[in-house]
Parts: sequence; structure tokens; C-alpha cells
Amino acid sequence: MKLLQKTNRAYFLISGAAFIIAGVVFFFVISFFFKDQVNEKLHHDIRNITRSIRTNGVLPNFYPFIEIKEVSMQDERSFKAIDTLIFDALEKRKIPYRQLSLVTLINGQAYFIAARDTLPEKDDLMEAIALATGSVFILLLLSLYLINRKLSLKIWKPFYKTLDELKEFSHDKPGFRLTSESELYEFTELNSTLEKLTSKVISDYQALKRFTEDASHEIQTPLAIIQSKLETLMQNPDLKKDQAELINSAYVYTLRISKLTQTLLLLTKIANDQFPEKVIVNLSELLCEKINMFEDLIADKSLNLTKEITPVFFLETNFFLAESLLINLIGNAVKHNVAGGIIMIRLDHNQLEIANSGEKFAIPPSKLFARFYKAEKSSDSPGLGLAIVREICRLNKWEIRYVYEETLHKVVVNF
Amino acid sequence: MKILIVEDERELVGAIKSFLEPEGFLCETAFSYFEAEDSLSSYNYDIIILDLTLPGGDGLDLIKLIRDRNRQAGLLIVSAKNSLDDKIRGLDMGADDYITKPFHLAELNSRIKSLARRRHFDGASELIFNEIKINTDSNEVFVKDCLLDLTKKEYEILLYFIVNRNKVITREAIAEHVWGDNISYTDNYDFIYSHIKNIRRKIELKNGTNYLHNIYGIGYKFSER
Repeated sequence: MKLLQKTNRAYFLISGAAFIIAGVVFFFVISFFFKDQVNEKLHHDIRNITRSIRTNGVLPNFYPFIEIKEVSMQDERSFKAIDTLIFDALEKRKIPYRQLSLVTLINGQAYFIAARDTLPEKDDLMEAIALATGSVFILLLLSLYLINRKLSLKIWKPFYKTLDELKEFSHDKPGFRLTSESELYEFTELNSTLEKLTSKVISDYQALKRFTEDASHEIQTPLAIIQSKLETLMQNPDLKKDQAELINSAYVYTLRISKLTQTLLLLTKIANDQFPEKVIVNLSELLCEKINMFEDLIADKSLNLTKEITPVFFLETNFFLAESLLINLIGNAVKHNVAGGIIMIRLDHNQLEIANSGEKFAIPPSKLFARFYKAEKSSDSPGLGLAIVREICRLNKWEIRYVYEETLHKVVVNF
Repeated sequence: MKILIVEDERELVGAIKSFLEPEGFLCETAFSYFEAEDSLSSYNYDIIILDLTLPGGDGLDLIKLIRDRNRQAGLLIVSAKNSLDDKIRGLDMGADDYITKPFHLAELNSRIKSLARRRHFDGASELIFNEIKINTDSNEVFVKDCLLDLTKKEYEILLYFIVNRNKVITREAIAEHVWGDNISYTDNYDFIYSHIKNIRRKIELKNGTNYLHNIYGIGYKFSER
């Protein structure tokens, strides 16, 4: 809900409630005031009638407004005020009257004198009050709404500008600035806080990027030296068998660390979205090319490869990442296969499915894509391949899932 | 052939020199941006190996200097950053090839020789080892002037061996050279052995000598023994 909507709704509810209360109060005040006025008039009327009877002996009768009866019994000499309903022959319905009556002795004769006056009908009064308060209410709301709108648009303009600029914010674009200006303290405060925050995000990101690059450099350089020294040592013609084995073992593990740091760096780069260049890739062609690269490994394990690949499937993505995705998926299918097993690769429009034979994993499939997760404890791969695949899919908003069906591990990517 | 190695890690420079010098390369070294600037403005080199991360400056800036003064030189850039940006920018600015640290010395040697061949410094695109002759233009191998029928991969392996003759080559280096990075998906290099067996058989079929020797526990060596 927008702020303006929210405040308008609050105004509406609160002023609505206030107007209803005001209407009720009006009703009672007006009724009371009216009755008071009528009472006063009726008192006056009775006094006049009494005087007129006393002096002139005339008994004016003007039903229902004035009613005079000679009565025999005299109870007490007091005024009695009541509200009553009297049938009106013209309107053919009962109409509310205020009645003030008095039984009094005039010239030795007891009279019952009643003076009456119409009272406003409750319905009419309520209607009138509702109409009055209602129209004031609507007028008020309308003006509040207009003022709000005009004012809000003006006041909130810098805010919306800031919001739009923030939407354009990207952590890898240095020099981000908010340009909106406002004389309001809250907004200038907001802008300066946001600027501090964004510049911190940018500098942190730059530092992180530099750190991963530097760390990788700092690790790769000593590894390069170790590797080159070992390769130089291998050139020695006088090496004994056991020495050669030791050197080779050190060499193999050096290569593994170096591969591992490269892979971790790649993961970080994908996570940081450092592969922005996108091109149109014919995935079918790329897939066939990558399968061919693995043909020796496939033949070596006597794997049975079946391909169902649509001739063209174009996709806009980063070329390097698309390559990386395919290499990781095919590589996994080859590596985690059994001798003489099956590899099935299927690509139709929007869906890539790679399946390979293998034992069912004891662990839940959801863990399969986690970093450093290995299905087989003894495996000497670091377990980063599927983590890379997942990151690439996340970055491209592709859907990936894993299923185990009929002794086949299946990874399905929906583009 | 004169090579300038621009690299700040002295230990690595030592290893590179000791690998390349027996190949007949004359290696000079520069350990910083300024030393490199000095050497490049005073002498001409056939091949320059340039590490991009240098004390005193960015290696990319040196590329312009190299291209201004040494138009003919083969330029191989080395970076530990493995960053695509560096690679693309380096190649755009006039580098001929790119290699990422850490690398196999045999791979470096093979890249340098390929650069040298491409620039025809030796005036020939032929590699000769006794009775074996490789024409790198037509990708043909002859044993005693008989054309050898090799697959693409066998050809690449044999070329790698002949370029790195008399060197012990690890299985990993061969695998990475021929199959690329995908090879990290295997822990079994038997498939290389089958290619090597085929090469041996094909050479021997043409009455050539088997120069491909197994080095126990490590890999292979192409030599007269």
C-alpha cells in the first residue's frame, strides 16, 4: 500500500468516527435546545391564557395547540410537562408534541389548561444533522485529499527520485551518487545515510574482489614455483623409483590445490556476478563440442553414450559460464559413472537432461549442490562442480533439479 | 634465440631458465617493471615472457612499449589472476598468447616454440628429430620420409613430445595440453597410455625407433636415451 493511500485511509477512518460522534452530540444538543425553547414558549402561552381567562373570562380553544377544560377536582397547582403524540387529521399520522399542562383555580373555577407545540420529528432531525455533517465531512475529506496529494507529491518527490536512483544501484559501479535535494531534514538525512551505506557497499565489494584476486595470486605464485621446482627435479636422470614416486605424489597434490583455488575463485566470481558480457550461444553446437572433448574419457570407461540433441538451440548468456556448466555436468556424468555404464544427454528446446548410471546416494538430493559435498567420501574431487552449476543456474535464473530414477542419476536444467 | 623473462618471482625465473636454456634459448631476466622498461628500451628480443603483476607497474602498460619498440617479438603474457579481463585486454593490446599460473614448464616451452615457429624465426616450420620430421604448417609427420597416419590427438601428443624432447613430461601436462581443463574430471590417465601405445606402434611400423620412454611413476620422455 502506498503511503498516500495509507494516510488517506487513516484520515478517512478517524474523521469518519469523529463526525459520527459529532452528529450524535449535535442531535442531543439540538433536541435539548429545541425542547427548552418550546418549554419557554409554552410557559409563556399558559401565563397569557390564565391572564386572559381571569380578566376576560374567555376560554380560547385552539386544538391541539391550546386546550382548556373546566375540571371539578383540583389536585395541585403545578406545571406538568410531557412529550406526547397526537393524531393529525391532515397528515393522517401521529405527530410529536410538547405539552405543558396546568390545573389552576381561576375565579373559583378549576381549569385544566394545556399548551402544546410541535416538536421536530426525530427522523427529520437526524436526517438534517446527517446531511449537514455528512456534507461537511465530504468537503473536508476532499480538501484533505487534494492538499495531501499536492503536498505529498511535492514533498515525496525527492524520496521517489532517491528510490529510483537506488534501483539503479549496482555494487560494481563506483561513484554512485544520490542527486535528489529536499529542504526536509528527514530526507537529507536519509540521503546522506544511504550514500554512506552505498559507498561502504561499493568499497567492501571492491575490497572483496581485490582480496579474492590477490589471494588467488598469492596462492598461485608459490604453487607455480613449487610446481616448476618439482618439474625441474623430475628432469634429473639419476632419480630412483621411490624418489620419483615421492616427487610425483607431491606434484599431483600441488596440482590439486591449484585447481581447487582456481575453482573457488571461479565460484566467488560467479557469485559476485563478474561475468556480465552476454552473447547468443548455440547451446546444441557447444554441447556437441564439449561431448567430443570427453570422448576419450568416455571410451576409457567403456561408457555407452546416447545423445538426443536438437540441431539448434539459441540462448543468450555468458559464453564462458555456459561452457563451464556443460563441462561440469558432462564431467560429473563421466566421472561418477560405473565401468560400462550409461550416459544419456538430451537437449530439446528449453531443457537439458544429463543422466548417468550409478548407485543411489544415501544422502538427500538437496545436499548434492552444496559446496565441498561429496557423495563418495573417498572421491578426490573437491565436490565443487555442482556448486558451480547451481551458481550459474541461479545467476541465469535457470531451474535445476536432480532425480534418481531406475539406477540413473539425472540432472535436469530448464532454461 | 633471445628471450626476456619479465617476472618478479626469482625462484620461478630460475626454474624457467633452467628448463629453457638447454633448449638453446638465451634467457635474460627483468624482475620489476623498471628493469623490464630498461631492457626493452636497450635491446631487442625474439620472445618476451611477461608477467602482468609486477612491482612498480602494471604489466599491461609494458605491452604498448614492447609493440612500439619490438614489433617482431613474440609476446607471451603470464598472469596468476586467471581473470578473463586481463586475458582479453592483453590479447587486444598485441600479446600473442596467454598462459595462466601455475603452468607446466613443458607447456611454457611448447608455447614459446610455437610462437617462434609462427614468427618463422628459424625460417622453417619443420621440426626434425633424427628420422622423424614434423611439418607444423600441414600438420604432417614423416618417418624416414614416409607419411605417418596419426589422429589429431596423436599428432598433438607427438608434437608436444618433440618440442619437449629430452624432457621428462608428466601425464598431467600432456593431458592438460591435449584435452584442456576438462581433464580435471579424471583420476585415471590410462587413456593417454593407449594413445602413446598407438604412436609407438605407428612409428615402429614405418621402421622408426621408439623414442618414447616410460619414466616410472611420473610420465614419459622423448629421447634417444
